[in-house]
Amino acid sequence: MALATRGTEQSDRQASSATIASRARHWALTTPDKVAMRQKDFGIWQETTWHEVWDMVETAAYGLLALGVDVGDRVSIHSEDRREWVILDLATVAVRGVTVGLYPTNPSAEVEYTLNDCGSAVHLAEDQEQADKVLDLAGDAFPSLRRIIYLEPRGFADYDDPRLLAWEEFLEMGRRHRETNPGEVDARTVSAEPGDVMTLVYTSGTTGPPKGAMLTNANCDFAIETIIKNKARMPAGRLPGPDDEVVTYLPLCHVAERVFSTWHLVAASPVLNFAESADQVNIALREVQPTLFFAVPRIWEKLHAGVLIRGADASWFKRFMLDRALAVAGWIGRRRVENLGNWTAATRVAYAIGWVLVFRALRERLGLRHCRYAASGAAPIAPEVLEFFIGIGLNVYELYGMTENAAVATANLHGRMKLGTVGEPYPEIADGFRIDDETGEIQVRHEGVFAGYWGKPAQTAETFTDDGWLKTGDVGEWVDGTHVRIVDRIKHIIITSGGKNISPSEIENTLKTSPYVNEAMVIGDGRKYLSALIAIELDTVGNWCLKQGIPYTTYRDLTEKEEVVQLVQQAVDRTNGKFATVEGIKEFRLIPKELDHEDGELTATQKVKRSAMEDTYRDLVESMY
Amino acid sequence: MLGRPNLYTSYAGESRIFTTTTQKVVAAIVIVVLFLMPFELPVINQIPFIRFLGDNDYLRPVSTALVYIIAALGLNLLVGVAGQVSLGHAFFMGAGAYAGAFLGGQATSTVYGHGLPIWIWLPGAGVTAALIGILIAPVAVRLRGLYLAIVTLGLVFIGIHMGNMDWGRRFAGDPGLGRDFPPIEFALWKGQEPLVTAADDGRWLWFDVNQAEKTYLILLALTLVMVLVAKNLSRSRTGRALQAIRDRDVAAEVMGIPEFKYKLMAFAISSFFAGVGGALFASLVGKLPASQWNLFLSVEFVAILLIGGVGTVSGTILGTIFVVLGPRIIEEVTRWLDRQTEAEGPVATVAEGVLTEGPGDFGPVSVATQSPGWPLNVFDWNVVIYGLLIIVFLIFEPLGLYGIWLSIKSYFQRWPFSY
Repeated sequence: MALATRGTEQSDRQASSATIASRARHWALTTPDKVAMRQKDFGIWQETTWHEVWDMVETAAYGLLALGVDVGDRVSIHSEDRREWVILDLATVAVRGVTVGLYPTNPSAEVEYTLNDCGSAVHLAEDQEQADKVLDLAGDAFPSLRRIIYLEPRGFADYDDPRLLAWEEFLEMGRRHRETNPGEVDARTVSAEPGDVMTLVYTSGTTGPPKGAMLTNANCDFAIETIIKNKARMPAGRLPGPDDEVVTYLPLCHVAERVFSTWHLVAASPVLNFAESADQVNIALREVQPTLFFAVPRIWEKLHAGVLIRGADASWFKRFMLDRALAVAGWIGRRRVENLGNWTAATRVAYAIGWVLVFRALRERLGLRHCRYAASGAAPIAPEVLEFFIGIGLNVYELYGMTENAAVATANLHGRMKLGTVGEPYPEIADGFRIDDETGEIQVRHEGVFAGYWGKPAQTAETFTDDGWLKTGDVGEWVDGTHVRIVDRIKHIIITSGGKNISPSEIENTLKTSPYVNEAMVIGDGRKYLSALIAIELDTVGNWCLKQGIPYTTYRDLTEKEEVVQLVQQAVDRTNGKFATVEGIKEFRLIPKELDHEDGELTATQKVKRSAMEDTYRDLVESMY
Repeated sequence: MLGRPNLYTSYAGESRIFTTTTQKVVAAIVIVVLFLMPFELPVINQIPFIRFLGDNDYLRPVSTALVYIIAALGLNLLVGVAGQVSLGHAFFMGAGAYAGAFLGGQATSTVYGHGLPIWIWLPGAGVTAALIGILIAPVAVRLRGLYLAIVTLGLVFIGIHMGNMDWGRRFAGDPGLGRDFPPIEFALWKGQEPLVTAADDGRWLWFDVNQAEKTYLILLALTLVMVLVAKNLSRSRTGRALQAIRDRDVAAEVMGIPEFKYKLMAFAISSFFAGVGGALFASLVGKLPASQWNLFLSVEFVAILLIGGVGTVSGTILGTIFVVLGPRIIEEVTRWLDRQTEAEGPVATVAEGVLTEGPGDFGPVSVATQSPGWPLNVFDWNVVIYGLLIIVFLIFEPLGLYGIWLSIKSYFQRWPFSY
């Protein structure tokens, strides 16, 4: 343990202008036998030590050199989260390339757009399905693309595209290249400069085509120092370290998971655990019981709804106990929220009793028993959900950041938590954070601010104020002079025909606290009153119908049931009760299909594309007015 | 991994018998308590249940249960793990018992016997039974379900018949009285002074131990070894192959499991356990006629599996304890009720209602040892309860006692949810 601590300090000193690759190499040299990653394969969590990780990273880096990847060349990765994602990411940075991540759900057209927009030289496709998204297009559709590496060989036997290269062959090329050119990777790594672009993170593109935000080594370094190595953020001031466990399950191409997984890994050496597949996250959580856990609001909502639904299905004694426990948790949650997230003597006593009877087991079932730091970010979350988790003893700290500032903006710090806010600006950027008096827009200026959009100087210029501050596009307001509350995206603010400014996100999030509501979109710009398009949650509503004895066939059939409309009406009424009358939803319609990324209704990060929705469901919207 | 019992980083970790430290500690405590049970110990003997077993009176039925566990494990391997129905278990037990007697028993003018020590006759009993199993397997492997049951049933009658034939009597002794079986004692070679013997009282380490206690301790050690062997078998490659055959033999063969080889193995290993169990049982009883290895004994073992839980080692152990000790406990309860009738109070009234002590009483249980017709005596009631239990378990809890344990366990494992 003492050794590991000393190692951390050393890395602090020598890593001041480090890249993620050099940080990884540092761990491989100081703690070669420490497990760095686990990947579930046929039911077994296969472990990879730092030594093995670095060996693969180095081999892959030589492989990239063998493929002629030069400084600044783009390497794109189109895969679910897995070991090779992180390894190729590190290898790319090791040879001063630029990593570009794609969402596994990206359809062919978006893959074509992204690869050509960034001018990818080498592309990694996880399997036949992902490779087909590239290969289906004509050979000259990707002028810059030289090689397509694939990980899962299944299905590739009949493919004869000369660009294809199996991962094993790629590593073999790397090994041969290392023999003939030893030390070449090291030389490249050492020559890295803080200003090097290390990755392009494509924005989700709720409006217009996605843009590739350029993040440099300096940006990444700043994020690591400000977020990850920030004692004020962590309970008891215990920084992330080698004993921590992380479950990697959100798309790694998104800045949030990249910070929370890859950058955490190289900064503090926790174990990254890769689930067998994205829909097995619940199982992975239960098995791994992570100590650090980051989730988007959607996941927190699902976990919360899961407790309510499974609780309602439990046998009578369990249901009785759980109901009592949840009532206690509600009380604890409220008390602690009033107390900035701190414990009081009374809540501690109540929690201790609840721990023995229910909370310990409940957290174990959720997979959060050993969790010592949990965070929510990337989208607004309803305070009720956070209160629930705080009530069962798990502080969920809401964070705020965006791709363009390397996720460095504000965070709820331990013991200074205010629900409904995204916390305080990190102390390090106190001077680089402001809320514009006129528009209410949050603006930042610090070392984490990105270098611009790839190949889009005009749009880059638009993103900055004249005096060089990054315009986040979010409207914020100060709470008690220290904390920041996000009102909404500037573009989303609704101005009703009565001239009233309304922020739809809050109303939508309150709607989404109902387990039966999957997605909601409030409409009312230039209208007399507010209305909403609501997508129901198939599992829970289906389950509810089953119990009520209402037969149904499909999703569409469900949305047309009078009883289901009534059920959603209750959720709408509850929401209306919490807002002023002008913010009340007068009418709503259920969307007759499940929203989908491929149909253009959601972005890859599952955010609603408002303009597309308004177009697609114009008839539904008009029927409400 | 500490605090993460469901995180398996290797297949070996996943198939461990005890995955958590708690399980290991509990298992260790149980084993220690089992070994200490016969002794008069200051604190431990205050615990009611242990005190009750510590009575030497109970050591004999408990020892019988231990021997039954060994034999039942064999049947479980064949029926529960490999899915091959067998009613011939008594035959293999008998084969083992006479092989043991042939090797280890004393020769007389009417029976064979070579007086060899236990380390020869006990494995010899198992191996002989296994060889007979291998001989029969080629026939059995070609049959399934009811037909297999009938063929194995035939073995039991063939066995008893052979024991009654002239040459069979040279092994089995007189058809009415049977023959003497070798005692449980460890000697280096025949004729030498035994190093350890269960035939008389003595002193081991710091404890005075009598004959029954010695028998119990030796059998307990042997049983633990056999339980470990059975457990390891079921979680090894062989065990997985047998389970695959049980679940669907055609599918198993397609997956590359040689069906014949593994069924043969199942018969051989099962018979080995039966042979060892049979030989020990015969030693424990001392003298047995060949007609004791009958269909009823086979059925008793099938009942053990059905009540305990087919296919699991823990279920087999639970079932054996239940079936072997159950009648004894019912008998004990009846005796206790009988004593209560002499006193006054609500218990006495209940006892009066249940028991029939003489003509004019209408209780369903007769205290007389011989009672033709209604009311039935304790022994008859045992048979009735036994039959009822098998029916109840088959209908309501096909996984047996183990299934009940499982549902209790999962109730708490799923707390506070139901799934």
